[in-house]
Amino acid sequence: MRTMAAAPAVPAALVLEQATQAQTPAARPAGQPIANGKRDAVGEPVAHFFTAPQLAALRRLSDLLMPPMKGEPGALDAGVPEFLDFLIGQSPADRKQLYRSGLDMLNAHAAKQFGKPFAELDAKQADAIVRPLLVLVPWSFELPKEPGARFLAAAHDDIRTATRNSREVSAAAVAAGRRPLGAQLYFLPVDPIYKG
Amino acid sequence: MPKQEFDVLIIGSGHSGGMAASVLTQKGISCLMLDAGPEVDLTKNRVSKAPWDLPYRGFNKPGRLPHVVQANEFNANQWVDEKEIPYTHDPANPYNWVRVRFVGGRSLFWGRQSFRLSDWEFNAAEIDGTGDSWPIRHADLDPFYSKTEAIFRVSGRKEGKAHFPDGNFLDADYGPDSTTVKKITDIATARGFLVSKIRASNGRNGQASSVNLLLPDALATGKLQIVPNAIVRQITVDKNTGLANGAYFVDRHSREELHVKARVVVLAAGTLESTRLLLNSGLANSSGVLGHYLIDQLYGVQVVASVPEARGGNVPEGMMGGTALLPRFRNLKKGEGRNFIKGYGMMIASGGGASPGFFREYGEELQKKLDLHAGACMTASIYGERVPRFENHARINKNVTDAWGIPVLHIDVKDSANEYNMAKDAADTAEEMMKAAGWDILSKTDKFHPPGYSIHEVGSCRMGDNPKTSVLNKWNQCHDVKNMFVVDGGCFVTCGWQNTTLTMLALAMRASEYLADQMKARAI
Repeated sequence: MRTMAAAPAVPAALVLEQATQAQTPAARPAGQPIANGKRDAVGEPVAHFFTAPQLAALRRLSDLLMPPMKGEPGALDAGVPEFLDFLIGQSPADRKQLYRSGLDMLNAHAAKQFGKPFAELDAKQADAIVRPLLVLVPWSFELPKEPGARFLAAAHDDIRTATRNSREVSAAAVAAGRRPLGAQLYFLPVDPIYKG
Repeated sequence: MPKQEFDVLIIGSGHSGGMAASVLTQKGISCLMLDAGPEVDLTKNRVSKAPWDLPYRGFNKPGRLPHVVQANEFNANQWVDEKEIPYTHDPANPYNWVRVRFVGGRSLFWGRQSFRLSDWEFNAAEIDGTGDSWPIRHADLDPFYSKTEAIFRVSGRKEGKAHFPDGNFLDADYGPDSTTVKKITDIATARGFLVSKIRASNGRNGQASSVNLLLPDALATGKLQIVPNAIVRQITVDKNTGLANGAYFVDRHSREELHVKARVVVLAAGTLESTRLLLNSGLANSSGVLGHYLIDQLYGVQVVASVPEARGGNVPEGMMGGTALLPRFRNLKKGEGRNFIKGYGMMIASGGGASPGFFREYGEELQKKLDLHAGACMTASIYGERVPRFENHARINKNVTDAWGIPVLHIDVKDSANEYNMAKDAADTAEEMMKAAGWDILSKTDKFHPPGYSIHEVGSCRMGDNPKTSVLNKWNQCHDVKNMFVVDGGCFVTCGWQNTTLTMLALAMRASEYLADQMKARAI
């Protein structure tokens, strides 16, 4: 608006001439989409689901379980905590509860053992809380029964997958001259039921 | 205006319906095929996408397909929507019913492993000392297996063993065995187990479906009409004769109901959908066994070992890669004295990696372990046979209907000691052989998926000579309604460890040839 308001030091006739020239549209290759942006490349995710202490604990856990390795982005670089806030917020009630109580448990352990929230623990302190909850999961289709171990197994898997499947990890692979991971054939919806 | 009466109405267009249409139309019989789903062009319907460009970053939409373990965000649209067409089960006894509704059905997506059943399965009662045998033997089905193998271009290695019958195979090029596959082959052979190779349908142009191998021949006769989006609700019968005379079907989009007339009805809607249709129609159940003896295969048992010489990302040339298939080796003789009957096949694959859950590590320490074992792992998994039991059944749940108002199934299936004992034996046996090879066990589990997961559900409409204990006779013809045939997996008496499709196809071909002969002789 400010530029519009400032009177242009260009004669009106010239403005008209430029406008006429500008009416010749740029050539656009057939079939090339006009929307060239990506939602997550322009927008910041907004966390809605977890409480602030839960999200802070999830951030610390994500960084602990999936740190940047071998020059590849880690879970925090890949926006995993914010993505999981969205994913778990959309999930069935038992999944929501598993995460909420699991993150609360991490904070409770941290307060009891170190007198501060899980988010503020150093690597050694965080390890003292997480290590006892790590159990072998030989069969990935069934999570451990014990609630703490169950939460950690679920979160570990989700954090790893969300990191691997991120734009950031793939872009880093391409930048390093490796093949990007993850592209697969997506099966489009077929003739959905007519809704009028 | 009265519409045409068709010779045969075929319900379902997957492998078994496609085979029925192919056989019948080529014998001059006019067929109408109704399929509940739309047509799909697989060459156009799949596009390459990165997971971060999908709404849920490659995770499936939460809660969308709770029973389909195979589902992910990429393939979610190929499965039946569980909200559109629900089914029920006791939460304590999960059943994972994995369904597809397109013209071509599950034949569009199957794994293509193609094994024959043997007389250890057909003649199960004698081998097991309990249960029931089929009313046919391998010799009865042999010519139909051979013709089916020619159509599907099955490749395999002949072994000359009756419990793993050879077929009409194309030569398969398995390449030379890697040294790890040789080693496990020697170890298994020393224990008296046959070691073979995968037998698979090659099909044509990358597909081995009803749509490209069976239906084109049927359409070429000019005797077949295929109507998609036609959901059959009920089979109708002539009150005077008790014979089937057509069916009501509902348009998938408009929900308008129509009726079609036919002289013969062939059900090929898939094991549980054919059974559901018969139950909803109130037909073919004078025996009281319709819906019962529902079986499928036991999958999920897994043992993973790491080969020390192949670790660290430097696999010596020729050491890893390839597979060994051990066809059933348990209870081949009577009186082996085991705590389970029947048996399992075992697949041992060379060259995979480890899973994160195998280690109590995270972050960089975990990554070091994964890198160490990458490409150095041997994975044993099994194809187990479940025991048919009367109490394992599907029935109609009158309180729940699908999106078209059709009552759904309630499925009630439990595993028993035989399944648990078999799974334990399989895991122990794989572990023992891998240890004998000098490999380190990284993971061993004798857990397995709930029933249904293998997508090899069969039975629930079984064949037999006795109309009091079976629904179909040995020609897949209903004991109660002589002009009605069920040609899908519903007819199985036992499920075997073998992938079920080749047997379904051979049975559908045999039943359809019999039906054509009967129609020609005016016996039907």
